[in-house]
Amino acid sequence: MNMGLFNARFVTFMTAALLWGAACLFSPSAWAGSCCGGGGGAGLLLPKFSQAMIDFSFDFEKYDGFWNQEGKYTPDPAGSDLRQYRLNTGYARRLSKKWQTSVVVPYVWNVNAYTSGTHRKEGIGDTTLNLWYEALDDTTAWKIHDLKDLKPSVTIGPSLVIPTGISPYDGMPSDDVTGRGFYRLDGNLIISKTLHPWSASFSLSYGSYLERPVNREVDYVTPYRKKLGDRSSASLSVSYITYLGSGGDALTGTASLSELREADATRDGNRIDNSGLKKDAIGGTIAYSSTDHDWGVRAVWSHTVKQDGWGMNFPATDIYTLGVNYGFR
Amino acid sequence: MVSVNMRWLLLALICSVVAGCGGMMNDLNPSGSDKQAAVEAGTLGYHVGQIAPDFTLSDTLGTSVTLSSALTETGVTGAVLYFTMWCPACDVDMSSMRSSIIPAFPNVRFYAVDYECSTVESARNSEMSTGYDGSGFTVLADTDKNVLKLYQGQIKGTMGITVVIDKTGIIRMNEVYKNDRLTTALTSLP
Repeated sequence: MNMGLFNARFVTFMTAALLWGAACLFSPSAWAGSCCGGGGGAGLLLPKFSQAMIDFSFDFEKYDGFWNQEGKYTPDPAGSDLRQYRLNTGYARRLSKKWQTSVVVPYVWNVNAYTSGTHRKEGIGDTTLNLWYEALDDTTAWKIHDLKDLKPSVTIGPSLVIPTGISPYDGMPSDDVTGRGFYRLDGNLIISKTLHPWSASFSLSYGSYLERPVNREVDYVTPYRKKLGDRSSASLSVSYITYLGSGGDALTGTASLSELREADATRDGNRIDNSGLKKDAIGGTIAYSSTDHDWGVRAVWSHTVKQDGWGMNFPATDIYTLGVNYGFR
Repeated sequence: MVSVNMRWLLLALICSVVAGCGGMMNDLNPSGSDKQAAVEAGTLGYHVGQIAPDFTLSDTLGTSVTLSSALTETGVTGAVLYFTMWCPACDVDMSSMRSSIIPAFPNVRFYAVDYECSTVESARNSEMSTGYDGSGFTVLADTDKNVLKLYQGQIKGTMGITVVIDKTGIIRMNEVYKNDRLTTALTSLP
């Protein structure tokens, strides 16, 4: 194989893998809470040489207590076992050399057991549409010779969450909720740099929910207007790549630290005290890629530390993900 | 090229819309019109304006609590039922009530209805572990979900539903907790 071409492909592959990991960290599924609304998919990012990609991932989210509004970790009631499973189906397509778009639709199963019994409900979650612009390419993955070799890849773009799930405003019980019920528009930024065999990535996202009218909870109520608080998230990840045997099959390990914040919601323009939330998480990903990079398989673990101060007003969960993707050239 | 891609996206979106069905359209195109059902005064039910169904439940200390008896106690002006599953949102609501509402309305009985407990003991454990022992709430163990069915019309509950019942047994509020609406409902109790 031509080494120049190999290098270029390697860099783009590494960048894509890293961006994928970063995008996963922004998954709205991290907000999922079958008792509190949630369900959602992540954005997909295409490697440079792919024209399209299809991706399937399966999440298992296990709830284990929550942080109250003061950040104090509180265990779940004894005998409860709350779980959410999600099958995320994603499709990404390149629009041009620099532009790409994707859609991810989750299907959600809530399985919540209490001492009184088990509730099950399934349904589609909230859909995510992404548009990405590859503003800068990282083309120097092997050695730093001068300052320009420090140039990272920069990917930016908006995403739109569409409330296709079952929300708390659909007259359904809490255990049946698979979405949040609001449109949200995000701006996303991912910066990454590879220096073989290491890579680092920083991701930033800021989103605003659209205000909506509400006239129904369990029953119809006196209508009001509600807007969830602006949401911000950031993550930092470091990856290491190694090759399997003498071929080009690659294994990438990634460790990450992420932070999510949501400001207080408003109702009829008035702030709802203590309705904001925060969640910090650490994560690890092992990703396999075939020699031609067409196939990818990954296992992801997102973990929250069940101690005071690692969250606020939000469930503490562990999320285990298995995913597979195939890229079309 | 772009138009072809847009067709893919539209197709995916339409598929997701069709697949979702259910109440999805409520969220895609939410309505702000008032669709509360008109209720006939004097009928029994869980809608605002109806007569609150009576019930008897055990609290977490094993004492029986009957709604009608509680409302006729001397000096009592009404009762609040708060449906809890001890989740983060429930904690926010209950904390808000504990700090600002309960002290302001000493003549109102505040009941936290645990609708996901199987025994009085499990409700007691939840009350203790979440720090609501001695909070001003009387925690009721709705072990058979009978009160849940009476006040939400379903066997699976929605957390945070807050019901205000006046001294004459009329429902004044029945919706997810909102501090200002609860305050208004309690202030207007006769």
